[in-house]
Amino acid sequence: MQNIKPQNIASNIALSRLLQLASPMLPVGAYSYSQGLEWAIECGEVIDLASAKTWISDALMIYQGRYELPVLYRQYQAWQLNDIAAVKEWDTYFQAGRDTSEALAETRQMGYSLCRLLNDLGSLPADFMFKINELVNPAFPTVYAGITHLWSISAQDMLQAYAWSWVENQVSAAMKTVPLGQVAGQKILLELGAFLPEIVTDAMQLEYAEISNFTPGLSIAGCRHETQYSRLFRS
Amino acid sequence: MDDDFSVPATNAQIGLGNDLAGVKPVHWLATLTLDFAAKDGRSYLAKRQHNGPLVIQKTLYPEGDALCHGIIIHPPGGVAGGDELILNVNVQTNASALLTTPGAGKWYKANGAAASQHLQFDLAEKSSLEWLPQENILFDDSIVNFSADINLGQEACYAGWEILCFGRQAKGESWLTGKLNQKLVIKRADKTIWQESAYLQANDRFFHSAIGLGGNVVSASFVVAAGAVPTELFAKCQQFESDSASDSKAKFGVSALSEVFSARYIGMSAQSARHYFEGLWQILRPWYASRSAARPRIWNT
Repeated sequence: MQNIKPQNIASNIALSRLLQLASPMLPVGAYSYSQGLEWAIECGEVIDLASAKTWISDALMIYQGRYELPVLYRQYQAWQLNDIAAVKEWDTYFQAGRDTSEALAETRQMGYSLCRLLNDLGSLPADFMFKINELVNPAFPTVYAGITHLWSISAQDMLQAYAWSWVENQVSAAMKTVPLGQVAGQKILLELGAFLPEIVTDAMQLEYAEISNFTPGLSIAGCRHETQYSRLFRS
Repeated sequence: MDDDFSVPATNAQIGLGNDLAGVKPVHWLATLTLDFAAKDGRSYLAKRQHNGPLVIQKTLYPEGDALCHGIIIHPPGGVAGGDELILNVNVQTNASALLTTPGAGKWYKANGAAASQHLQFDLAEKSSLEWLPQENILFDDSIVNFSADINLGQEACYAGWEILCFGRQAKGESWLTGKLNQKLVIKRADKTIWQESAYLQANDRFFHSAIGLGGNVVSASFVVAAGAVPTELFAKCQQFESDSASDSKAKFGVSALSEVFSARYIGMSAQSARHYFEGLWQILRPWYASRSAARPRIWNT
């Protein structure tokens, strides 16, 4: 066996941590949300593989790429600087931009669940946990940025993993609801997975003025989902 | 009174569309600052200051003393590239104001320079402001910055809508080139409770994507920041339908957050957006303003 350099071991541990966070097994309940996709299916906007891929890639590029990812990146930078006031400011900004009650409830529930998990792990540094527990009803990306920074995951890897988990969850929702088969789901993942590095790079380069949460079609889908008669996913 | 202003508006529109092409545009900065105050149960315009072509027509009391109506007029009728409009409104404790506009706001072809509108609304505690302007029409090739900073004191209440038309539909015009940068921030007691930000170029995939405008040309949003909407009223809002007979592609919906009620409409008609929002306004106004909705007469002209 070749000798493995210590810095490679460190970065491979970071990769393990990243995979753990990106796994659908992470107990934060992401699987219980469809983010408007279930309504898009109900109203016939999404009916098959092609339309599911269009909806998901548009939401990835227009909403995730211009809102969640650039805000997540700024939260990561705030954690890097140990600037908890900035972490809180970005958290307030992010939550004020979640424009439906289901979108806001979702990010708070997932943020709560991740905080709880980090507490339950029982092995994280006390000063880090103190900062985490000081946050009041934090959004999911706020906590996610903190733990990825603690685990020495790079900003780029964090953003790609976050976006990957989001895409995987959307594809899984489409598979259950459209419905689509396993292969169809894998085809969407294969195609959208290839876009992620560029989406991440673009998100990291966005100026503050360019950060945009304006997606009225997606917002209306969220509004209508709140009263959808038959639902698999939470509102 | 209203007619005085409709004539130059039309002339300006024609002039800028054709005759002034190639002529170096004159950039206008227009600032209007209004202070509403309350005394003995009467709201009144305590102070006004204006600089350039943005004015308030005399105040009106169609709903009694407690609420002061004002009509904001931009006599040139349209905004050219490089022009900047600033509307500052301060509403003092216990005062209530409703502001609207006599006609659609027109945002002309940019000629390379951005036109902008900034709204700065500061509401002291227990005051209220309704900002219910008519639609803004973005002409093809316009570059527009809209920003609104709204600060609410404790128990202050804000209701405002914005209706945006991409391209002049009446002329069959599409918004093929241009830029829109729109920022809305609402704070209560210095905490941001609502923010919306758009940063778009006319060729953006947003315009055809179902998560964006979905091929529609009108986007409208109505926000009421007055705390949580009572459940039974919110249920009425959810049941209220847009008048979609003439606008079959329209999509609309409402959501109630703990601090803000939000309604959105995307479709092909500013008229339908207005109809939808006015319906919601009728449902919600008795709650947030303790008075029923009475259409300002200017909307009928």
